Amino acid sequence: TSMETSIWSRAFKRQQKWEDKDDLLDVIYWMRLVVSIVVGILCGIVPLTGILGIVFYLGISCGLIYAYCSIFQQIDEDEFGGMWEILKEGFMTSFAMFLINWILIYTACHFS
Amino acid sequence: IHSKMLADAILIVAISICTALLSEGLSYVLLYRTEDYKRLKGVVEKQSKRLERKREVVGEGLARPSGQKKKLEKQEEQLKNYNRDLTMVRMKSMVVIGFTFTALLGMFNSIFDGRVVAKLPFVPFSLLQGISHRNLMGSDFTDCSFIFLYILCTMAIRENIQKFFGFGVSRTASKLGSNLVGPSK
Repeated sequence: TSMETSIWSRAFKRQQKWEDKDDLLDVIYWMRLVVSIVVGILCGIVPLTGILGIVFYLGISCGLIYAYCSIFQQIDEDEFGGMWEILKEGFMTSFAMFLINWILIYTACHFS
Repeated sequence: IHSKMLADAILIVAISICTALLSEGLSYVLLYRTEDYKRLKGVVEKQSKRLERKREVVGEGLARPSGQKKKLEKQEEQLKNYNRDLTMVRMKSMVVIGFTFTALLGMFNSIFDGRVVAKLPFVPFSLLQGISHRNLMGSDFTDCSFIFLYILCTMAIRENIQKFFGFGVSRTASKLGSNLVGPSK
């Protein structure tokens, strides 16, 4: 039953049923966090600076989540209060995580 | 100067993690494990979920029979009261924690006064420069001050620490809580 399978075993399979909305939102939250860390590190190394870096991050993180929800999981947006509610999930924390990684890696690679 | 900068930055991340852990630790001792808090939190969670389910069934903004509307309003009022009680219980420990961290932050601020702790890969817009360039010399706004890095770090990890330890509030409860408290704030 869906109660017994952990959300992570479902997260990597297509078109799962998400009875408890919070389960999908949890997956989105942690996925977004990982993406933010990776993109932050990448932007720091290249380096991608200025507004371009921020736009790149927003594009990738929102794009990936949108693609995951509507293409991979094919969820019914209305059940979750619209795509906007899903895109808002964990946004501030992930954005701060992106900035921290971006700043630290940028400083480490290009200023020491 | 530059070699020290990275060491400073990493130290600040470590400080931020430690203070966030300390904050949650203090919250646990003073608040989370108290009977009052556990009881009120349980009640708020249950009531929020009940209210959310009722709203989904009845439908928002649609014409409802007046009996149901009254019942819903009564439950919203109840939730508002529970939320207010919860806030009161949190108040005491929040004051203690706030005081502790003001003191700690003041100490760190003076340690890092005038030090550039990182280089920003972007120029923050003018409103933010007051924070990001705080107590720094010169006009290179890609210089990062202690307080900016500290705040960003805290924003990045606090929610994660709360989720990790299970201290957070459920989405339903926080959404309804903010909806009910919002206008009167």
